[in-house]
Amino acid sequence: MQIRSGRKTTPPSLDTLDTNIIEILRTNGRATNQEIAERLSVTAATVSARLQKMEDARAMRVVAVTDFAAHGYNVIIALGVKVQGRSVQDVGQELAAIPEVLSVNIMSGEHDVELLVALRDFGEVQQMLFDRIASVDGVIHIRSGVAVDIVKYEFNVVPL
Amino acid sequence: MTGKADWARLDKLDQGIVEKLARDARISNRAIAAELGVTEGTIRTRVKRLQNEGLIQFTVVTDFRMAGSPNLCMMGIDADPSQVSELARSLSDLEEITCVIVLLGRYSLLAMGLFTNIEQLNDLVTERIRPMPGVQRVETSVSVHNLKYEAGIAKITRDVVAG
Repeated sequence: MQIRSGRKTTPPSLDTLDTNIIEILRTNGRATNQEIAERLSVTAATVSARLQKMEDARAMRVVAVTDFAAHGYNVIIALGVKVQGRSVQDVGQELAAIPEVLSVNIMSGEHDVELLVALRDFGEVQQMLFDRIASVDGVIHIRSGVAVDIVKYEFNVVPL
Repeated sequence: MTGKADWARLDKLDQGIVEKLARDARISNRAIAAELGVTEGTIRTRVKRLQNEGLIQFTVVTDFRMAGSPNLCMMGIDADPSQVSELARSLSDLEEITCVIVLLGRYSLLAMGLFTNIEQLNDLVTERIRPMPGVQRVETSVSVHNLKYEAGIAKITRDVVAG
């Protein structure tokens, strides 16, 4: 299988030092270059250069992951969208422009597009579904699910 | 739904800190302190508290290409209502499944995972998920194109790592 965003898919090659740096940052993304350097017996400048190189190659990124709650998002909905009369790609792009839409995937399956949407409270659901998403040209059907519990959410591999 | 933490517990300073870290997770406490006009110690304490409360976490995300360009696969699962909670736990225990959401509406549960080949996905669904007690139906769909993913916003469910 192959995807996706039209960019070339050859992964940058990482050596042992690169992967060791990634491992340290995986458990503590706030470790300073100096701390990482000491643990790996290299200089802080080397660590800094390696990180820059990997980020430039879009191989990895150190992120501050904030909980939905830190943004005041208390309602998460998963929507399956069907499209007709317009390219799915165009509809997807337009949906992606909505800030509360956290993820957009074009699917092969029952629905054409899958969305994950975060909202502050339940009162916003109606407007989001029937005004904003439904008003996107080409959207002909929305099937909705409301999250009552998120048991696991581990996205360490993402499109960068 | 999102647990004990709530927006009200983040004051203006917390919000300022979160904003800076969201832009650059590696920014030093000293630089944040200088920009927000407080001491470095204050920033250190606040960041620690946000981490301890599970509101922020610092980690590495790697690009799809580094994992062999997998496809995101979604499994919508209808299940016997009395077994949904137990199923959510069983699905979470599967290493291949990276996301499990208990839903109201379209399915009982939504599970996701990254797969580099269709056989691997099919084996998981037919041999491991369908036989789970309470599973009535599994609807599988495959992402062929990701247009948006916010790596910086998530449900923090893992144990918070000190540091």
